[in-house]
Amino acid sequence: MEIFDHLALGFSVAFTFQNLFYCFIGVLLGTLIGVLPGLGPVPTIAMLLPITFGLPPVSALIMLAGIYYGAQYGGSTTAILINLPGESSSVVTAIDGYQMARQGRAGAALATAALGSFFAGSVATFLLAVFAPPLAEIALKFGPPEYFSLMVLGLVASVSLASGSVIKALAMVVLGILLGLSGQDVYTGTPRFTFDIVELADGIEFVALAMGLFGLVEIIRNLEDEHTRTVMVQKVQGLMLSKDDFKRIIAPVLRGTILGSFLGILPGGGAMLSSFASYSIEKRVSKNPQQFGKGAIEGVAGPESANNAGAQTSFIPMLTLGIPSNPVMALMIGALIIQGIVPGPNVVNEQPNLFWGIIASMWIGNFMLVVLNLPLIGIWVRLLTVPYHILFPLIIGFCCIGVYSVNNNVYDVYAMAAFGVFGYLLVKLDCEPAPLLLGFIIGPMLEEYLRRAMLISRGDPSVFVTRPLSAVMLAIAVLALTLVLLPSVRKKREEAFKE
Amino acid sequence: MGRFVRSPKDVVTGLLLIFLGAWFAWLGSDLPIGRAIRMGPGYFPLVLCGILAALGLIVLLTGLDFGGDAEADEDARQIAIPWQGLALITLSVVVFGLAVRPLGLGPAMGLAVFISAAASRRFSLKGGAIMAAVMVAFAWAVFIKGLGLPLPMLGPWLGGY
Amino acid sequence: MKWKTVAAGLAALALGLTPLAGAQAQDYPSRAISMIVPFAAGGPTDTVARLIAESMSRSLGQQIVVENVGGAGGTRGAGQVAKATPDGYTVLLHHIGQATSATLYRKLPYNVLTDFEEVGLVTDVPMTMIAKSSLEPKDIGALVAYVKANKDKVIYGNAGVGSASHLCGMLFMSALGTPMTTVPYQGTGPAMNDLVGGQIDLMCDQTTNTTGQIKAGKVKAYAVTTKERLKALPDIPTMQEGGVKDFEIAVWHGMYAPKGTPPAVVAKLNAALKQALQDPKVIARFADLGTEPVSQDRATPEVHKAFVASEVAKWKPVIEQAGVFAD
Repeated sequence: MEIFDHLALGFSVAFTFQNLFYCFIGVLLGTLIGVLPGLGPVPTIAMLLPITFGLPPVSALIMLAGIYYGAQYGGSTTAILINLPGESSSVVTAIDGYQMARQGRAGAALATAALGSFFAGSVATFLLAVFAPPLAEIALKFGPPEYFSLMVLGLVASVSLASGSVIKALAMVVLGILLGLSGQDVYTGTPRFTFDIVELADGIEFVALAMGLFGLVEIIRNLEDEHTRTVMVQKVQGLMLSKDDFKRIIAPVLRGTILGSFLGILPGGGAMLSSFASYSIEKRVSKNPQQFGKGAIEGVAGPESANNAGAQTSFIPMLTLGIPSNPVMALMIGALIIQGIVPGPNVVNEQPNLFWGIIASMWIGNFMLVVLNLPLIGIWVRLLTVPYHILFPLIIGFCCIGVYSVNNNVYDVYAMAAFGVFGYLLVKLDCEPAPLLLGFIIGPMLEEYLRRAMLISRGDPSVFVTRPLSAVMLAIAVLALTLVLLPSVRKKREEAFKE
Repeated sequence: MGRFVRSPKDVVTGLLLIFLGAWFAWLGSDLPIGRAIRMGPGYFPLVLCGILAALGLIVLLTGLDFGGDAEADEDARQIAIPWQGLALITLSVVVFGLAVRPLGLGPAMGLAVFISAAASRRFSLKGGAIMAAVMVAFAWAVFIKGLGLPLPMLGPWLGGY
Repeated sequence: MKWKTVAAGLAALALGLTPLAGAQAQDYPSRAISMIVPFAAGGPTDTVARLIAESMSRSLGQQIVVENVGGAGGTRGAGQVAKATPDGYTVLLHHIGQATSATLYRKLPYNVLTDFEEVGLVTDVPMTMIAKSSLEPKDIGALVAYVKANKDKVIYGNAGVGSASHLCGMLFMSALGTPMTTVPYQGTGPAMNDLVGGQIDLMCDQTTNTTGQIKAGKVKAYAVTTKERLKALPDIPTMQEGGVKDFEIAVWHGMYAPKGTPPAVVAKLNAALKQALQDPKVIARFADLGTEPVSQDRATPEVHKAFVASEVAKWKPVIEQAGVFAD
């Protein structure tokens, strides 16, 4: 079997002392920046690029890759502990993970995230090893109409993130899309909703929005009843998962892994969608969906697995086609070029050491992460027993530097403050911020693909239904939306009849 | 609240959504709309503003009660907004933004932590100062020394660069 | 004799009046220099900047830190440098967009021609006209005819308003006198994805982005946009060879300091830049990108300044004719 030769080659490369060392440095640094809110993998990798000059290409890429998937691990930590999703992929984790933490089950939530991620990462790495080239070809079949339909599906899924009124959730999604459209229009360069401020020319920064709506709002809410509670969590329960927990997470982890592995291949937002899609599926198949949003462990297990699987498979287009699927991959391509390797479809054949070495290192890196993260859980959980009046100013400090460091742009800091106030108003009005955030992420892509599809089809909207893949996804979206809307309509009607 | 209002929250939400829809439409009123074939930058936002306002109207209507059975939401009465906390938290973030360029990361961080700490009832001058100092030291160690962020600890106003 | 004394006296006076500037210029650089790249990290311009910065750091004895200030087609980063303290500790590395933004952006908060001290040109990255592998025409001549005959059908993709691929497309359409449907993307990555996948037909982009795909046969390469054929892609003809007259475009890169930077500092930066352009490591990496450093006589502030002015003049009519503006 050729694949075993390849894997043997990969492990022989990855298991050298030097490469193990850089893999460890990568995942450690990744965990650190993932935990620190705001500071994401992009600026970190950019800062480290000069260091990679002196390293062999394989070691450089192994370290940079480690930072990327390490950050995915670490990102869920702050989302769960203090409701601070630093990355789009951990928005979903924050919903139920934070509720679990408030019930004293932060340990279980963190363990679920770590174990789910490890399982998903291992499976996705295996898929990457076996199916990378054919999977990359599938990704190429996705044209603008398919992406548009996928985004519609994603939006419908995001409505299900809310546990309250469906109409309000829909309104939040639409508002999120509008906010997401701020900045320069891709097609004409026209600035939209930027108030003629140059610093806003690229729109509202995601990290500023997320930290304002989630992090600041949570702090303000906790100040409401400060006189009754001094610490965030009164009682911290066991750190590990119970047998019952294990049973509950197996199926969500499996489904999340499959979903994430597939969506991760698609450049342009696939990996991001996978965690929302997973949450929405888990909520739908669950026997007690009303638990979602109130600390359902499935709502952590599925999305966390999906996003980590997606993080691994998003390497596929980069490694096999030389096409970056997100800004981090673009940076890796930059790192390769600096190393004198021209990324492209030939890398697999011309640089087998590099290709298989990276893949093998991912598995090793995932293993290191789980070993690194499980013992850390105890420390994280103790953090919650720190008196809240000491904890929250520190969180504010982290939020400020985190948001500022993304673009070195003070307007991002002001935006965070503004969204803190606005988000608090929304929460008081029973409007949930999660769908808004997802609308914000998906909206601009939705518009971009819609307009691109219309341009390429010369204004013929039938492309969305005549192309089979697109038609299937749209059909699922319509079906899902009906299923979401029906109960509320029925409920309204029942209420009306009662009266 | 009048007899017709069943849920003041929903009424306010509805009005807010309608206002936001109108506001965004007004902000984008000079954007070219184009046609479906070649959509202009104003096409998609305008459609969304319409949808937002329509959803707002639905929420508004559900908040009104035409049946005359005026029974207001219970929890609507109990909104206790922590005005002081809200103001101080927001102020601390804005101060950070104002200070980080001219004064540098150190003073900006210290001010932000100190001001936000004042939002708590348990705030004391000494405690706030200690927290600010700890956070400044931590930020210096982790962000500047550890991660090498290109941020000066002291800004140009304080002799840095 | 007398004149010499007077001159020396005047010089001494001048130095005396500006002791601070003199002292600063003398021991420049005494701390890290930040090099602003007005595009995202990992892109071709960023790569050029990092290679140059690494080499210049060695000869200047101070670290040059590359800072990515992306956004607004490179004008956000350029604007930041225009407003920076002119002490030589903030420099800009920008490409052809520096000249085209003068026309593309009608509300630019700085003046491209008067708000910068040019340090020197760095490199000219050639571009290639590429197409999806299933496109019919065999060579560039046939492609021209095909585009003219099927102008409603051919779809040209670019990496966004103001990008190099956008400029190349505008120039191609104005050379042919035929408009094509243009589909903008956010960066080369997604555009290349749709080109390889056959969703769009044509694209013209820097060799940095296209060489790998061309060599692997995933896209069809019709022509290079330089006067002569490229060493890295010797089989691909030039536009001129294919009968497209007066068609020449390269993505030139240059280094800038804010207006008012002391001449001595600019001279030091320029000397370090010139040295970097002769660094064998830089030359080798540039070759991998399908480009080479500019000749030493072009890497001077004077040539650079004149060149920026000529490029602004060259692109003004092309952009105005296309009627595309970025604000």
